[in-house]
Amino acid sequence: MLTLIGISMAIGAFVALVGFSRSFEGEWMRLYSSSGTDIAVVEKNFLNSSVNQSLTDKLRAVPLVEQAAPMIFNLMDLTPEVNAIAFGWLDDTYEFNSLTFESGGRFHNNKPEVILGSLLAKNLNKKVGDTLNLQGSAFTVVGIFHGGTALEAGAVILPLDQMQQLTSMQGKVSGFHVRLRPAPAGESSEIYLKRAQAEIEAAVPGLNAQLASDRASNNQFVDLAHAVAWGTSAIALAMGILGIANTMAMSVFERTREIGILRAIGWKAGRVMLLIEVEAAVLGVAGGILGIGVGWGALQLLSLMPKTNVLVHTSLTPSHLAQSMVISLLSGLIAGAYPAWRGSHLSPVEALRHD
Amino acid sequence: MTENQAAPQLEVRSLRKSYDDGRIEALRGVDLSINAGDYVAISGASGSGKSTLLQLLGGLDIPTSGQVLFKGQTLDHIGLDDYRARQLGFIFQAFHLIPTLRAIENVQVPMLATGVDAATRSQRAETLLVEMGLQHRLKQFPNELSAGERQRVAIARALANNPSILLADEPTGNLDSVNSAHVMDLLRGIQKDRGMTLVVVTHENDIAHAAPRHIRIRDGRIEA
Repeated sequence: MLTLIGISMAIGAFVALVGFSRSFEGEWMRLYSSSGTDIAVVEKNFLNSSVNQSLTDKLRAVPLVEQAAPMIFNLMDLTPEVNAIAFGWLDDTYEFNSLTFESGGRFHNNKPEVILGSLLAKNLNKKVGDTLNLQGSAFTVVGIFHGGTALEAGAVILPLDQMQQLTSMQGKVSGFHVRLRPAPAGESSEIYLKRAQAEIEAAVPGLNAQLASDRASNNQFVDLAHAVAWGTSAIALAMGILGIANTMAMSVFERTREIGILRAIGWKAGRVMLLIEVEAAVLGVAGGILGIGVGWGALQLLSLMPKTNVLVHTSLTPSHLAQSMVISLLSGLIAGAYPAWRGSHLSPVEALRHD
Repeated sequence: MTENQAAPQLEVRSLRKSYDDGRIEALRGVDLSINAGDYVAISGASGSGKSTLLQLLGGLDIPTSGQVLFKGQTLDHIGLDDYRARQLGFIFQAFHLIPTLRAIENVQVPMLATGVDAATRSQRAETLLVEMGLQHRLKQFPNELSAGERQRVAIARALANNPSILLADEPTGNLDSVNSAHVMDLLRGIQKDRGMTLVVVTHENDIAHAAPRHIRIRDGRIEA
């Protein structure tokens, strides 16, 4: 039972952590697709890049570019319990088109105004007209929007100039979101996007024009989340595997005579090995099923916590579930390998003498 | 070496077995032939080497030197697992039933090694247990059976793959006199009715003397 709990905790950690990081990645993906952004223009190596806002005009001059929106992106602790993704936008950016306002409306450039995602407004218990204190400055909540994604729903958006003041980035932005003109007839979207990337990078040397989908899945935040999730899960799984290995080794020791009987009546070493491996695999899979429940429960808890609910969706994808079950099965097989080998190589006579 | 129909069913040549880097010699050069259908009792004092001889005959252990032949073929040539699964039935003093399996399941276990299908396994196990007078004990676990019943389940298990040889190591060692007599009657009946070879290791003189052929072992050697 303890082994079962051990492996279920390990698989639970895997399900929760990897689920968390994947939902984070998924939210990024939806963030870009819902806003209609085709390309993100950023510095090559940094997530929080800092580039001159004056490059906006150069980007807008590229023939394939329909819209180029300078923006700042950052993470902000609003209260000790609530953090949020903070965006700085111009008040005429096309990205407003993906937002649906539940109350109020857009902010205005050069004014201390903010709009809040509905989830963040709920976490902060704010409504239109309330004041929100950001780093000692008072901002009026002028709109509450229903974002297309959990990241947006948990975001705070300020006028770009206000954000530049808060972050001491006057004249600088994190990057640009670009919407392209429709591809000409006869040109595939793939080729068109590559052409657009090349033209943009030629217009703003030193910057990187990343496809929105690549930016969503390969940005440093997502990479870090994946790395932490997999690293922590690997440690938990290693502990789980050791637990199963210990249980199976004890089981083989306690059943030495039984194994001797099986060998004496003609069971081949391979069949004894298979028997022990199947038991270990069943233990692993049972732990995996329990662990998926534990992980799902953990994701539910994370979705209720103000510090994390903006980053997580509680749904588990079929591929994530399948991956969890395969890892459970493999954990059992790996853990059972040595006990199985040891059990199958017992001398029948020695095993039968075992007390 | 090919199978030789004229060869004895079981033959041992210059068989030696030592333990503890040769300091303990359990068998010191045994030669023996047993023909198909023989009923042989092997007796001797405790530590004489009689159980070691049975274990070597049954392919449970490897001799230090010498050979065990089945129908003229070495056990290595036949394969120890196949030899034990298809040619032998073992009966142990301590019964050695699997405690977590019911009587009928214990009898089915050897058939898993020979690829018998599930329906046949179940039917054959039930038939054997009925033959042993255990028709009302099929679903019992070993700890719910008397010692005599356990040994009868063990005999049914030994017969599961219809072997040509039964090897019994002190089969009555844990039984009272009534059950001992019952078990020996069963074994003799099986040997006679099925034409099987029966090799019984015992320290009980009346059982040894009842066998048509009686071999005494002393200090690892067969007494003349």
